[in-house]
Amino acid sequence: MIPGFGISLGFTIVYLGLIVLIPLAGLVLRSAGLGWSELYRIATDLRTVNAIWLSVWTAFIAAIINVPFGVLVAWVMVRYRFPGRRLLDAAVDLPFALPTAVAGIALTALYAPNGWVGAYLEEWGIKAAYTPLGIVIALTFIGLPFVVRTVQPLMEDIDKEVEEAAATLGAGRFQTVRRVILPSILPAVITGFALAFARAIGEYGSVVFIAGNIPYVSEIAPLLIIIRLEEYNYAGATTVATLMLMISFALLISINWIQAMTRRRYGNG
Amino acid sequence: MRISIKNVTKQFDRFPALGGVSLEIGSGELVALLGPSGSGKTTLLRSIAGLEHPSSGQILFDGEDVSNLSVGQRRIGFAFQSYALFRHMTVLNNVAFGLKVRPRKNRPSRAEIRKRATELLDLVQLGGLEERFPSQLSGGQRQRVALARALAIEPRVLLLDEPFGALDAKVRKELRRWLRQLHDRLGLTTIFVTHDQEEALELADRVVVMNKGEIEQAGTPVEVYDDPATAFVSEFLGTVNTFQTTLNDGIAEVLGTEFPVADADVGEGPQRRHGPAIAYVRTHEIELLSREHAVGIPAIVRAVFPFGGAIRVELAVEGYDMPIQVEVPRAFFEAGEVRVNSGLFVRATNARVFPQYN
Repeated sequence: MIPGFGISLGFTIVYLGLIVLIPLAGLVLRSAGLGWSELYRIATDLRTVNAIWLSVWTAFIAAIINVPFGVLVAWVMVRYRFPGRRLLDAAVDLPFALPTAVAGIALTALYAPNGWVGAYLEEWGIKAAYTPLGIVIALTFIGLPFVVRTVQPLMEDIDKEVEEAAATLGAGRFQTVRRVILPSILPAVITGFALAFARAIGEYGSVVFIAGNIPYVSEIAPLLIIIRLEEYNYAGATTVATLMLMISFALLISINWIQAMTRRRYGNG
Repeated sequence: MRISIKNVTKQFDRFPALGGVSLEIGSGELVALLGPSGSGKTTLLRSIAGLEHPSSGQILFDGEDVSNLSVGQRRIGFAFQSYALFRHMTVLNNVAFGLKVRPRKNRPSRAEIRKRATELLDLVQLGGLEERFPSQLSGGQRQRVALARALAIEPRVLLLDEPFGALDAKVRKELRRWLRQLHDRLGLTTIFVTHDQEEALELADRVVVMNKGEIEQAGTPVEVYDDPATAFVSEFLGTVNTFQTTLNDGIAEVLGTEFPVADADVGEGPQRRHGPAIAYVRTHEIELLSREHAVGIPAIVRAVFPFGGAIRVELAVEGYDMPIQVEVPRAFFEAGEVRVNSGLFVRATNARVFPQYN
């Protein structure tokens, strides 16, 4: 074994404990103190159910949208050399760096019925701001870098000779992409999807401005937690939080499992 | 298939990779493109494949100009130095790839594809490893999968880029012998690129020595080894000693013996018969003589490497800056004359002399 295992594992556990596990455990403990019947009542409350379901499905749609577009952005940046490439590269990270509230306000201004984009959508009879569609737009915005940044390094790793090999064997460009390139970046695409999805479920700042926050319609779970807190309803807040924690954890575990299955197809790699 | 390369040039940005190369390759020939890195050998191979597009010149397959055919249309089997296997596919699927991507109307049935791929894996002696992934194979096995994959499309010519470059010495030798047998069995025109002269000389029917984007000499291994056409070939093939000397009416003195200037192609103008020259003498073309003969030039043994059938000896010779390298038969060494610091005489038995032009 590599020396230093004991101390580094010890440090890792203490660190993870302080930063992640103890706060989460506190959350679970707090809601466990409520008793089953109370917990059940809050969890099945229609407003709670609606909010959580809204958070999950909008995050899922946003992450799905980010997969093809994130892969495309990564492809353009890896494969082409053009002026402004570095600028584009930096721009991809903006959703990471920008305060999410700023992004939310900017998106709202754009997609509001009198905004630049919203006005056009209005003509088509599409309402973006203050509807679940607006939530999807905001979540797509914040999820993009996760897909791009996980796919990009793997794409850079694809050997030019592998593509040439496919060409010498008679594969067309489309066949090469479909049969050779996409399968070899699939694990990274799944990771990127999982990260974007997980991030979007918990997203608050950018969503609350564009969502309109109508209970039962466009009220997301994180917002419901804040509302409960403001009502001094700590029991309600922690219950919603615990439910979200469980859902996120279950999702991440199942995605990890899917990934392990995909990795197996690579032999050892 | 016959391949004609006519005056092919290739310009990368402003750096010329190929400067007007012409070469005829006969059907069923096994040809080595040999040269140091940057000599243009890989560029030539890739141009034949269609992976590189020559700046000018023509490449003909059986008399038909293929310049406008894409890589896929040329029906060539190409093996890459890095193997370039599809890492997410099993060995069987790697081999089957070229058949699976065919347009539906000339694609064999699934069962037929599987049968063909299995047969090819048996041919490259990898039967039983069908379901493995490339990452589970050794380097030599991966190279053979790459070959089977290239052969699956029934190529008209097999092009191999440094096929044994990434393998260790023992596997290299085995695979070399195996490739020769495979070539003799299939009769496929084969061109391979290498920087390893031993590989080129032992494996190929014909060796094409390249340097700086030009062909220095093309000939059978014996021709290029025994009659190097240029100074570059003399220096590149075999282990040679290089001597500065002077031409006097076409004759130069090398280690106490006189040799005529080599009959080299010098392009324009008559060959120089006077002035500075450079002489190449292989390690086995120098005789070591004991004191009683008293001919040749006195020398002192500096180091002896007593391994194998021929013993390598390093000597310091009067009037020469660099130590010279000599190979002597083991019997001579065992007679006991060759010891570090013992004095001997050296004499060149053969030398190739080229006028120096720069």
